[in-house]
Amino acid sequence: MQWLLTLETDNDMISICRLMNIFRRKSLKINTLTMSARVAGFSLMGVVESAETDIDYLFNFLRRTEGVQHVTCYRHEPFPNASFVFMDSEEDNSCVTRLLEAFPGSKLIFASHGKYLLEIPAEKRRSVAGDRDPAFLPFACVKTTRPAAQREFVEV
Amino acid sequence: MPKVYSGSELLLESLSRQHVEVLFGLPGGAVLPLYDALYSAGIRHLLVRHEQAAAFAADGYARVTGKPGVCLGTSGPGATNLITGLTSAMMDSIPVVALTGQVPASLIGKDGFQEADTIGISLPSTKQSFLVRSAAEVPRVIEKAFKAAVSGRPGPVLVDLPKNVLMENTEYSYPASTAPATPARVREWTDADVERAAEMILASRRAVLYAGGGVIAADASEELRELAGLMHIPVTSTLMGLGCFPSRHPLSLGMLGMHGSYATNMAVCQCDLLIAVGARFDDRVTGRLDGFAPSAKKIHLDVDPSEVNKNVRVDLALVGDAKESLRALVAALKRRNATPAAESQQWLQRIESWRSEHPLTYDKYANNVKPQFVIETLSQYASEDAIVAVDVGQHQMWGAQFWNFTRPRAWLSSSGLGSMGYGFPAAMGAQMAFPNRQAIAVVGDGGFQMTLNDLATVVQYRVPVKIAIINNRALGMVRQWQEIFFEKRYCDTDLDFAPDFVKLAEAYGIRGARVEHRTDVADAVQDFLSDREPRLIDFWVDPAENVYPIVPPGATLAEMVVEPPRVMVEEEALDDLWAV
Repeated sequence: MQWLLTLETDNDMISICRLMNIFRRKSLKINTLTMSARVAGFSLMGVVESAETDIDYLFNFLRRTEGVQHVTCYRHEPFPNASFVFMDSEEDNSCVTRLLEAFPGSKLIFASHGKYLLEIPAEKRRSVAGDRDPAFLPFACVKTTRPAAQREFVEV
Repeated sequence: MPKVYSGSELLLESLSRQHVEVLFGLPGGAVLPLYDALYSAGIRHLLVRHEQAAAFAADGYARVTGKPGVCLGTSGPGATNLITGLTSAMMDSIPVVALTGQVPASLIGKDGFQEADTIGISLPSTKQSFLVRSAAEVPRVIEKAFKAAVSGRPGPVLVDLPKNVLMENTEYSYPASTAPATPARVREWTDADVERAAEMILASRRAVLYAGGGVIAADASEELRELAGLMHIPVTSTLMGLGCFPSRHPLSLGMLGMHGSYATNMAVCQCDLLIAVGARFDDRVTGRLDGFAPSAKKIHLDVDPSEVNKNVRVDLALVGDAKESLRALVAALKRRNATPAAESQQWLQRIESWRSEHPLTYDKYANNVKPQFVIETLSQYASEDAIVAVDVGQHQMWGAQFWNFTRPRAWLSSSGLGSMGYGFPAAMGAQMAFPNRQAIAVVGDGGFQMTLNDLATVVQYRVPVKIAIINNRALGMVRQWQEIFFEKRYCDTDLDFAPDFVKLAEAYGIRGARVEHRTDVADAVQDFLSDREPRLIDFWVDPAENVYPIVPPGATLAEMVVEPPRVMVEEEALDDLWAV
């Protein structure tokens, strides 16, 4: 099963190295990964493959790892159950335009190096036209360490 | 008013403010500035003979006090020699702060003399790591390091200190009062969760409490005893949890798992409710997972949320500090005027019948020295508050089975990593924490040979550690597995070629003795424990003795082998035997 993880760490390379080592040791299958640096720290977003029985463990392991500030975990869900959509525009620049046309009024949650995560407004979820575009991966937020949903990171 | 300090002085001042009383270390080029500052500082330093011993000693200190133990190594090989000890502390969740020297910052990454990527190498063996970039950072980093070491699930933290940082001068002003770092408390359960746990306990008829190292880490032994006593629930301990519940308490089951007793493993197999407290369902405990407590509902109290459902799915989890969680649970039960289940007496009697059926025992009439007898005798004559540190192997298991545990924080064992060489330096570290208590290292001849060079340390500093070698002239546990699982193909487990440990001890200036006869054991032990000097006894025990019960690999706890296979003797041979 596919999951999307977003993480924020403190501004220390050691924390990032520790995370990468955790991914390696836990044999995490990573489909796509992006990482960005900002003043406050590092942000990562990745689409991973994991059994549902293992994701709880991974989420809990990551959230209690020193240096990790926040973790959010999204489960791959078909429309209209999905409230988030992920897109990797690296191969196809026209994706961005299609994304904005397919999900008007959506809120940008995470953007970095051509990878985008948008939150679809509740009233639009049943009427989305993007469900047939293979570039758009729908997700639902299942666990987060954040007290409330908020924009996590947007790279200028 | 700011004062000018060097990085080294800031480091030592920061350690003092964390109430560090002793460092275990070995100097080298990269930490010379620190040792120069240490020359006139008030913190005691024990010069070890190998940095591995420093890490084990810091670990032993931490286990008996609950405070972080501190070890110190120079850059490069000094730091890498700490890794085994840090990994052991990581596996057992022990708060250790390791300070390592590093080449000057301008040389990092350029393969300088005695440079190693200490942070990179130690990443999986530490809870957190810091590379200090300036002298001014030192106080904040030390405070963060100590806090990380004791917060949540405790663990080892490494602070890497480039030489230029140790030498750099800076103005710094400490706050008027600085208290040692206090752990960040964890509590994720709700009152409703506690009520549900109470309901599950009240609904059970055959409950078992499964207590691990987390009970000791949280200083929750009293709360555990209260819960067990209130509901008449028997208590089993992991290797890490031994001492959290008194061995001779009527509700004590002793250790479970691969070398747990028959009664304990049967109780776990047949319970209808398993309450795990500060334990992680390790493979040595569970055996094959599909056979672990198959009929039981499970409650898991643990400070680390990632341990919940990691190996065994549970019905209810209370994530938080064990002391607080147990207190809340007892309070919830008392509010309901809870009393033991009507069937509890019957359950306890059933467990007692299992105990009678297959007690932990050994041949008490053998002429040679049985290792179990040595352990029992040591336990009998040790003081009530004695600290015992074991190494790794058969003697470790016999220690777990036959030592009489009366209190927490008095049993030291490298349990998760199982690192040979641990016992003696850990006892040394524990002795430094409590100079007036007995610290007894019960070690195997194999493990002792890995760290015996620190006999020099205990003599130099007059650390009165007692060293009891359970000498079977072999790597006993490995030999046992070769006997049972590899058709007696004994490959490289023979330690017949070994020094005369008594002469070796005397060469270091320690009084030694050898015991080869059962009738000499008691007198030798009493003499050994009678003074406040480091002493060594080399007990020559039966090399054929194996640890039982044993749960074979891939088997369930119920499939344990409780005794050695009987040897069939031909009838004619029996007649000859009687004729002698």
